Amino acid sequence: MNETGITESVAAATLAGLQGATPHRLHRLFVYFGSPARALEAVRAGRAAEAIANDPQRAAITRRWQRTADPASVAAVLEQRCTRVWAARQPGFPFDADLPDAAAVLFAEGDCPEVLERPRVAIVGTRASTPPGNADARAIGRYLGEQGITIVSGLALGIDAAAHQGALEVGGGVIGVVETGLDIVYPRQHHLLYAEVRRHGFVLSENAFGVPPTRARFPVRNRIIAALCDAVVVVEATAKGGARITAKWATRYDREVLAVPGSRRNPAAVGCNELIADGAHPLLDPSDVLTAIGRHSPATGARPAGWGESEAKISRAARLLHAGMAGEPATLDGLVVTSGLAVGEVAGLIRELERAGRMERARGLLWPC
Amino acid sequence: MLASIRSATLLGISGQPVQVEIHVSNGLPGYCVVGLPDAAGRESRERVRAALLSSGLEWPQRRVTVNLAPAAVRKTGSGLELAVALGLLVAAGDLPDSALDGIGVLGELGLDGGVRAIPGTLALVDALRCDGVREVVVPLAVAAEAALVEGVTVRPARSLGELRECLKGELPWPDPPDPPDPDPPDPDEPDLAEVRGLAGARRALAVAAAGSHHLLLVGPPGVGKTMLARRLPSIVTPLDPEHALEVTRIHSVAGLAPAGVLMHARPFRAPHHSASTAALIGGGSGGRIRPGELTLAHRGILFLDELAEFGPSAIESLRQPLEERLVRVSRNGATLDLPADVLLVACCNPCPCGMARRYCRCSEPQRARYRRRLSEPLLDRFDLRLAVEAPRPSDPAGPESATVRAQVARAVARQERRYAGRGWRRNAHVPARALEIDSPLSPSTAALERVIATERDLSARGIVRLRRVARTIADLDDRDALTDVDLLEAAELRQDVL
Repeated sequence: MNETGITESVAAATLAGLQGATPHRLHRLFVYFGSPARALEAVRAGRAAEAIANDPQRAAITRRWQRTADPASVAAVLEQRCTRVWAARQPGFPFDADLPDAAAVLFAEGDCPEVLERPRVAIVGTRASTPPGNADARAIGRYLGEQGITIVSGLALGIDAAAHQGALEVGGGVIGVVETGLDIVYPRQHHLLYAEVRRHGFVLSENAFGVPPTRARFPVRNRIIAALCDAVVVVEATAKGGARITAKWATRYDREVLAVPGSRRNPAAVGCNELIADGAHPLLDPSDVLTAIGRHSPATGARPAGWGESEAKISRAARLLHAGMAGEPATLDGLVVTSGLAVGEVAGLIRELERAGRMERARGLLWPC
Repeated sequence: MLASIRSATLLGISGQPVQVEIHVSNGLPGYCVVGLPDAAGRESRERVRAALLSSGLEWPQRRVTVNLAPAAVRKTGSGLELAVALGLLVAAGDLPDSALDGIGVLGELGLDGGVRAIPGTLALVDALRCDGVREVVVPLAVAAEAALVEGVTVRPARSLGELRECLKGELPWPDPPDPPDPDPPDPDEPDLAEVRGLAGARRALAVAAAGSHHLLLVGPPGVGKTMLARRLPSIVTPLDPEHALEVTRIHSVAGLAPAGVLMHARPFRAPHHSASTAALIGGGSGGRIRPGELTLAHRGILFLDELAEFGPSAIESLRQPLEERLVRVSRNGATLDLPADVLLVACCNPCPCGMARRYCRCSEPQRARYRRRLSEPLLDRFDLRLAVEAPRPSDPAGPESATVRAQVARAVARQERRYAGRGWRRNAHVPARALEIDSPLSPSTAALERVIATERDLSARGIVRLRRVARTIADLDDRDALTDVDLLEAAELRQDVL
């Protein structure tokens, strides 16, 4: 706290909420004036232009900021919502603020900020994921959660949500990095997941309250995910998806990238396969992540649940049917034709496989797992 | 100066006897029709007048009143004109009073005095027969159709002048035309053997044909859903004579029946997805309620391609008729029950992208939005729901239609035997109680049914539907007892495909 009675947190939050306060400008302000509180003081005194001397809009911005900066109301909201604010180069900022294009201010809300102290791994992927992809993300999330690793993801539909759910199932730590202000839940159907993430970790955003989701903000958000973690696991990614962007940032920030290989026929696996071709580490087993971040995998050697062959006993005919699917989804038609059995018999085998957890129904198709 | 002729008008898909009364009296020359005629009925004055004059007869220069009794029923169409013309001749004393005793008269007039065909002859003649008429005068063009009604002598009429002489006994009645030959079987009729792969879907098609279970096929474009559904007519059993008459009657009213032949093939109706609610379930205004596609497909197949593209209200309007097998249409002044015992076959894509590459590119919200186009209650009406995918070129072609048709016919015969004398004929319509008594399950099979019901979270109605399909599967395989395999297959043929 300084002589004006405004904390660094409130000052950082006030500045981040100003119109036109890009991370780049915020960094300049913080560095030039020395701290967020002193920067806010200068902004209110109409001296912002000194820090952003080369900015063509500096005059307009200085006037607008001087007029609109309102630390009192920001402080009230922060207090009411119990929001933490971390400013670059201040204590608590979770990563190196000198990374290129790093965020300048982060808002965090949640019950377990200490999950930051553990190793952090991001699990990301496409929203248009396949059921096996979701199952993989969940299994990896569960495995890493058990190993005491914090799972960082984007709280989006598909892979992101599955990874969070996997970690939450085993009581692991989670961080959800979102693109909206923290008072907005997007997508709406994830409000329960948001609540769970807040309870077992926290949600994080660089945007002030009330900022709505827009198409442009998702890829920008991904650089925070990459900055926060020690390694990025891409489970399923389309050729041009946001997960590819996260992986690009991770490479830039010198984080390890792992990708789960998939069928060339699966458009949701194309991105992963391309990442592997570009040098990402293929993830064949969840313990590969531990190796990648420099930890030794536990000696038990047991495979994580939901990964690879399960122990349940199935008949020879059911095994042949499963093998005949070659990892690809199928319909009843396809199974009847490939097996040469009657429809009734195939129906019995499908049920057996389902009960053994070797087959899953989704979108009207049968997926081997 | 009064004449009274018996005729009939259409009310929905059935006939309504009408008494055409003609009163000719002194007074200012004039012509007035009362008794709720429609526009065609009011215009009939000009046709009747011209026809009389063209036939060399006299148009009375007196006050003419035509009453169509019962007066409170709306009369539709022009089928009463011939009766009006003959009534004028009787009233003018040109024809003896007794010439038309007990004779029903149907037909429209041309300006030249010719007698023209009218729609719905079968229904109209049938209504007259029920009213005690044993002899009917009908236009020559539809005489063969009228002859399908048993117990009625059909008198074909070519023109008003000729008809007058026949009635006077001056000319013999013209011979009724020979009934046209029924169409020879079409050698190009699509055959199931042309479809490759799709083994499960073929099976579902046979089950649908045998037990009259509604079928929904879901799959990407171009895999053969439509091709398969269009081959359903080639495996269903033909109509029995009673149903053939019923179907011909409906199609005659709609002007769709081939003249003079009974329709033995089950109707196959495939409305486009832009069809309105009224087009599907029937509608119209005033006294003229027209049968919709559901009624035109009565005792046959209603095929809705691209089900998800139909208008939501149109498609949801099918729910009640599918359950009750009749449509109740209420319009200003009339409520009609139209029969709608159809086998519904529908196709749709699984999602907006059509899952063309097995792996769909749609996001979850897009898929959810698409799914919401079809309501759960509607999807519940389908006993058979199947996902289909593109067959590989190497997949074998299945059996020919003739083979499947024989199998279906056997299963149908089993059902006819089992349900003889009851209020239903097919497995899809069996009430739950009767199903329990006719097809009891062994203790182990009943246990499996309970397990499946728990796993699939089936409602009581869902369990009954499962058992009905299992019953049909056993019938197709010519077995009396239901086995575990029948139940498993029935469960597999009814999946959550969307």
